[in-house]
Amino acid sequence: MNSSTFAFLDEDAKKEIRRSLLKAVAIPGYIVPFASREMPVARGWGTGGLQITLSIIVESDTLKVIDQGCDGSVNAVNIRDFITSVTGVESSNETSAATLIQTRHRIPEEKLKDNQILVYQVPYPEVLTTVEPDTAKQKQMHGDGDYSKLWVLLYEDTSQYGDSRISNRYPVLVNKHYVMDPSPIPKYDIPVMNNNSALQLFGAGREKRIYAIPPYTDVRPLKFDDREFKVENFSGIACERCGATDVFFDEVRRGNKSSFFCSDTAFCDAQLEKNNAA
Amino acid sequence: MMNDLKLEVKNLAKTFTLHQRNGMEISGFSDVSFSVKKGALLALTGPSGAGKSSILKTIYRTYLASYGCIEFHRKNGLILDLVSSTESQILALRKQEMGFVTQFLKVLPRITALQTVAAPLLEVGETKHRAFSHAADLLELLGIREELFHVSPLTFSGGEQQRVNIARGVIAPKELLLLDEPTASLDEQSSDKVLNLLMGLKEKGIAMIGIFHDKQKIARVADSSFNVTGNACMNSAIVQKEAA
Amino acid sequence: MLLDVCNVSKIYGPSCNRCLDLTGSEANRAICPVCNSIVAINSINLTAEHNEILGIVGESGSGKSTLLQLIYQDISASSGTIFFNGLQNDRGTPLNILDLPPSMVSRLKNKEMSMIYQNPRLGLNFLFSAGGNIAERIIGSGERRYEEIRKGSLDYIDRIEMDSSRIDDYPEEFSGGQQQRIQIAKALSSSPKLLLLDEPTTGLDVSVQAKILDLIKELQQEMGFSMIIVSHDLGVINHLTDITVVMKHGTLVEYGLTDQILEDPQHPYTQLLVSSIL
Repeated sequence: MNSSTFAFLDEDAKKEIRRSLLKAVAIPGYIVPFASREMPVARGWGTGGLQITLSIIVESDTLKVIDQGCDGSVNAVNIRDFITSVTGVESSNETSAATLIQTRHRIPEEKLKDNQILVYQVPYPEVLTTVEPDTAKQKQMHGDGDYSKLWVLLYEDTSQYGDSRISNRYPVLVNKHYVMDPSPIPKYDIPVMNNNSALQLFGAGREKRIYAIPPYTDVRPLKFDDREFKVENFSGIACERCGATDVFFDEVRRGNKSSFFCSDTAFCDAQLEKNNAA
Repeated sequence: MMNDLKLEVKNLAKTFTLHQRNGMEISGFSDVSFSVKKGALLALTGPSGAGKSSILKTIYRTYLASYGCIEFHRKNGLILDLVSSTESQILALRKQEMGFVTQFLKVLPRITALQTVAAPLLEVGETKHRAFSHAADLLELLGIREELFHVSPLTFSGGEQQRVNIARGVIAPKELLLLDEPTASLDEQSSDKVLNLLMGLKEKGIAMIGIFHDKQKIARVADSSFNVTGNACMNSAIVQKEAA
Repeated sequence: MLLDVCNVSKIYGPSCNRCLDLTGSEANRAICPVCNSIVAINSINLTAEHNEILGIVGESGSGKSTLLQLIYQDISASSGTIFFNGLQNDRGTPLNILDLPPSMVSRLKNKEMSMIYQNPRLGLNFLFSAGGNIAERIIGSGERRYEEIRKGSLDYIDRIEMDSSRIDDYPEEFSGGQQQRIQIAKALSSSPKLLLLDEPTTGLDVSVQAKILDLIKELQQEMGFSMIIVSHDLGVINHLTDITVVMKHGTLVEYGLTDQILEDPQHPYTQLLVSSIL
C-alpha cells in the first residue's frame, strides 16, 4: 500500500465522497449517505468535515480551520496540522485569505466570497430525529416536504415559552424544499447561510452523511408567518479585547462578572490590528 | 290540472324470512294498494297483527318490501319509488320530506323533553332560541307541565311520552307524515288536542297516513281509510269520504 | 359522491387466482384452501355520500377494521379502486387514491380524511401536548400563522368540552376518555370530509362512552362531515349511523338503512347478529 497518497485518503475513497458531494450539491439540503472511513481521530471529533476537506482539497488551496470561531483551539490546531501534513497546503487564520474553511459550530464573521468553500463538522445530520425516530418515516417526510412535527415543536415552544427554545441547530428550510440541520451553529449565524456566496458542505463522520448548500441558495429558518425569527441579542455589548460590536460573542464569567469577547478570534485579531494602526 | 297526489302504494307485499327457523316465511301483509293526497289523512284500520305498522315501516323503508311499489311524489315534481330507490335517496327524503311518528317514544335518557321536541327544528336550521320557544309552546299546548320540560321524557307516563313524541313529529312537519297510533294511549282531552293538531297540518298541505282504532276519531280526521284485514285476506276497498 | 370503493380486496400471503372465489361469506371461510392465503377483504363495493354516517359491523376477523385501514391507506390494498371526493387529474380523469403518489396520500390523510383509533396511542403523538397534537393537523393542512394555529387548537379543545387550561398538558396526563376526546379534536381540526372511526369507545366506561358518542354526533351535525364507524356494538351503530354495512369473512353480506338492518335483517348472518343483542 502506498502510504503517501495526497490528502491521506486513497483515491477511491475520495472519489466516493466527491460523488456524494455532487449529489448533495445537486439536491440542496438533501442528506446523502457515504462510506465514512476510519480516520486518525475518533468519530465524533470532526471526521465528517475532515473527510470532505481531504476529498476536495488541492495543492493551491489555503486552509483555515476553526472550532467555535477559534483558530487556536486544540481541536482546530490538530485538524489543521493533520491536513497540512498530509497535503502540504498553506494555512491561514485570515478568513479572506482562505479558500477552504473547515468549521465547527460557527460561520466566520467576515463575509464569505464565491471562491470559498465552508465545510461544517456535523454531529447530528437528521433534523427529524427528535420528532420521528423511524428512519423510513423520516425519508417519507422529507420526500413529502411534511415537516408538521417540527412545526409542532415550534408551536409548543411558542405557546409554553413565548418563542422557540432552540439555541443552536435551528432547523432551516433549504431551497424551499428540504428542512435540514445546520449543525450546532448559533441562531445568530442562520441568516448568514441564506444566499451565501460560498459553497457550504456538511459532513457527519459518525453518522456517515453528507449534505450541502450551493452558493446563493435560499435558506430560511423555520418560523411562523406572524412571528419574528429572533437571534441572540448582544445590544450594548462590545468585545473587551478589540471593542467590536455587532458580532457573535463568547461570554466569559469571572466570579459574578461577565466579560464578552469576539467568538471569531481571527476577526478579533484583525480588529485589534486595525485599532492599533489607527 | 295539478297532480296533488303525495303517495301511491301499489300491490305492496311483505314477507319475512326467518333464516334461524330454517327459512320459515311469515307473511306480513300482501296486495296493499292505496293512495294519499296532499293535505289528506289516510287512516289504516284493522285488527292487531294485521300488518298496519308493517305497512308504515315498509313505506319508511325500515322494512324492505317483498313486492310492489311505493311512489312518492316529491316536492320537485319527480316521482321516487321508495321500494327501489337507494338508501341515500331514502335518507335524503327522511331528512326533508318524510317523517315517522312511532308508536313509542325512542330517545336517549340524557336528552330533555324540550331538547327532544326542538331537535327537528334545529336540524332544519332554526335558531336555538326560536326552536326552544316553539317547542315549549307545543308541549304546553299538548298539556305537558312546564316543570317536566327539562326532564328526560323517559321518566314520563305513557300518555305524556306519546304527546312528546307527537310534538317532535309535527314541530317541523314534513310533506308526508306516517303516524303509528298517535292517540292510542291518550285520554279524551289530549287525544282531542292531537287531532286538532293533525287537522292543522292538513290545512298546511301535509299528507298523512295514520293508524287509528277509534271510529269516531277516524271520522273526524281521516279523508279516507284502508282496512288491513290480516295476512291471509286482502282488502283493496278504499272507503272514500267526501273531502272535508 | 364522497367515497366510492370498487372491488377492493386485501390478501395476505402468496395468493392465487382462486383466492377470491373460494373465500367469503358464501364459502364460509377467509383462508384460501388452494394457497392458504388469508383473504381479509374480498371484492368490497361500498359508497358513501356527503354528510352520510355509515356503520360497519361484523364479528372479529370479518375484515371491518382492515377495510377502514385500506380506505385510510394505513395498509395497501391488493386490488381494486377507491375514488374520493371527485379527486381527479389535470385531464379530468378520476384518480384512484390507491395509486396516488405518497405525497398526495399524506396530503389526503393530513387534511381530507381523519382516523380515530381505538388505541389513542395510534392517533395521538404522546411526545406532543394536547394542543400540539391538534396543531399538527392544522399545520399539516397548510396553516403557518402561530396565532391561527393556537386559536384553532383552543377552539377544538373547547369543542370537545375540555377546559382550555389543559391545552398544554401531555396525553399521559389525561384519562382514556379524555385522550379519545383529544383524538377527536385532532382528527376534526383539519375540517376533514370523511372521518373514520375504529371502535372509538370500546373499552371505555359506559358513561364516558355515551358522552363521547354524543360529542361525535353533535360535531357531525355541526360540521357536516361523513363518517364510517367500525363497531361490534350494535347499540353504538344504532345510536350513530344512518346506514349499516354487515361484513363476514371479508365480504359485505348486507347493506341497508340502519333501522332496516336492525328491524328487518335479510341475510342469515345479519339475523343471527341482530338476534344476539342483549
